[in-house]
Amino acid sequence: MIRFEHVSKSYGGTLVLDDLSFEIAPGQLAVLIGPSGCGKTTTLKTINRLIETDKGDIYVNGRSIARLNKVELRCSIGYVIQQIGLFPHMTVEQNICVVPKLLKYSKERCQKITHEMLELVKMPYEEYAHKYPNQLSGGQQQRIGVLRALAASPPIVLMDEPFGALDPMTRLVLQEEVRRLQQKLNKTIVFVTHDMDEALTMADTVIFMEKGRIVQMASPDEMLRNPASDLICSFMGKRSLNNQHLPQTVADIMRDKVVTVTKDHGVRASVELMSRKNIDTLILTNADGSYAGVVSVDRIKRSGKGYKTVEPLMNRGYPFSYEDEDGQVAFDKLIDGGVNYVVVLRRDRTVAGIVTKTSMARSMAEAVWGNGE
Amino acid sequence: MTDFLEIYGRQIAQAAGTHLYYVLLSVAIAFAVSLTLGILLSRAPRWANIILPLLSLFQTVPGIVFIGLLFLAIGIVPATIIIALAIYAIFPILKNTYVGIIEVDESYREAAKGCGMSALQALIRVELPLALPAIISGLRMSLVYTVSWAVLAAMIGLGGLGDLIFAGISSNNNALILAGALPAALMAILCSLGIDLLRGILIPRPLRRDVL
Repeated sequence: MIRFEHVSKSYGGTLVLDDLSFEIAPGQLAVLIGPSGCGKTTTLKTINRLIETDKGDIYVNGRSIARLNKVELRCSIGYVIQQIGLFPHMTVEQNICVVPKLLKYSKERCQKITHEMLELVKMPYEEYAHKYPNQLSGGQQQRIGVLRALAASPPIVLMDEPFGALDPMTRLVLQEEVRRLQQKLNKTIVFVTHDMDEALTMADTVIFMEKGRIVQMASPDEMLRNPASDLICSFMGKRSLNNQHLPQTVADIMRDKVVTVTKDHGVRASVELMSRKNIDTLILTNADGSYAGVVSVDRIKRSGKGYKTVEPLMNRGYPFSYEDEDGQVAFDKLIDGGVNYVVVLRRDRTVAGIVTKTSMARSMAEAVWGNGE
Repeated sequence: MTDFLEIYGRQIAQAAGTHLYYVLLSVAIAFAVSLTLGILLSRAPRWANIILPLLSLFQTVPGIVFIGLLFLAIGIVPATIIIALAIYAIFPILKNTYVGIIEVDESYREAAKGCGMSALQALIRVELPLALPAIISGLRMSLVYTVSWAVLAAMIGLGGLGDLIFAGISSNNNALILAGALPAALMAILCSLGIDLLRGILIPRPLRRDVL
């Protein structure tokens, strides 16, 4: 589907892509990862010719892109950027239809596309199509960013750190959604990230780059089992280091950076906070700092009218677990509850963090493959 | 009062008409010129860094001096005052157009490019709409200033509300001064309101708030 043949690129004497050759098969999700400056973003941008190469050829569908019309090429390759880049003066519908419009699709067809696209991410047309980007949460904005890339049904989609600006929870949900969409629509996706968790969760193939070269190109399993260099090991971080004290406690596997507010926080202020931090749920505490419950942005949107504080909207029954419990306990709750995360509490019932599905995957990987020593 | 209006009413109306004609025509010319120039400069910021400071320096030349010079060159024809007013009206619109386009966030440009827009399409569909709030506030500034600068037309015998004001000053007739000044003030306010209306129509809600 996408083939690089001896591609090089340099900026003012520094080689950023060094004789790069690889191939991505159709229907694959390939993740480019590596330290900053390794050339992953440059590689991505050469595919839709936002960056021109110095040497070598890139083939898309067997055709050399150097000979294709730039604009045509870009219309046939979806593009999602980290800053989301939804046009603020256009509604959701207009944003989704940017590429179809460039391709001169009829109005009816564009509208039909918008319906189908919003359907894919379960955002009702009537509610969202005519909103402007600044009326959406960060997660919703990037969903629309992804839809904009998919609208003209390009066979290939490029994603440049698409979830880098989102909070961990929203990020997880979007990772799953993109994976689901990719499989459902059978797209070839090239995805840049610097987050190894993200790479291992999403990729069919992980391409690890350093100094403009590929260090290792392998499936996530293979990379976990046989990392080709120390740098890759260190990228996989804890996974390959502190494996000594199995079984792990909840505290070992949780993420500890979470946003909490007191339950008498105003509804409006909460929504504002969520949209500022790009998150879909807030963890609420009592006045003394002890855990009270959670509130989701959906719940506020559905029934938040008429309430001053978020307290009446709070979900008290949300799964939680104590930090000194066995990790297994949190995982069971995570799976049985069908939720995206479990709240972790200290024994004094203050909030310590959350356990997500990624935490689980990471911990299981350690248990299965050990620390690689 | 009624006597006054009986005597001067017609003259005031006529002067206001001439005045408005000068203002609208010169601002229209200025708008077309500065929009084009602003777009061109935004493609070549290096030039803009030379041209814009020069123009702003020129802006400090008193209008009277400039009109005097043009009067010597062209003579007592409406073109003199229209050219002079247009030249003064260019700067605020030009500067705002340029800055408005330049300050469009790089991520929107990249998104536009990545979606497959040509440079022209990106300009028309993304950059200009995003710069529009700035462009329109430049237009407002020019329009309001030009209403007051157009008073100078009377200095070289080309009419407008300045006629009444200068006549009032030379004959020490306060009523006559007001008969020229009040309609001019009113015209400036109405122009500003007109721009508000235009803004409401042209600019989608989310872009409206962060502009003066």
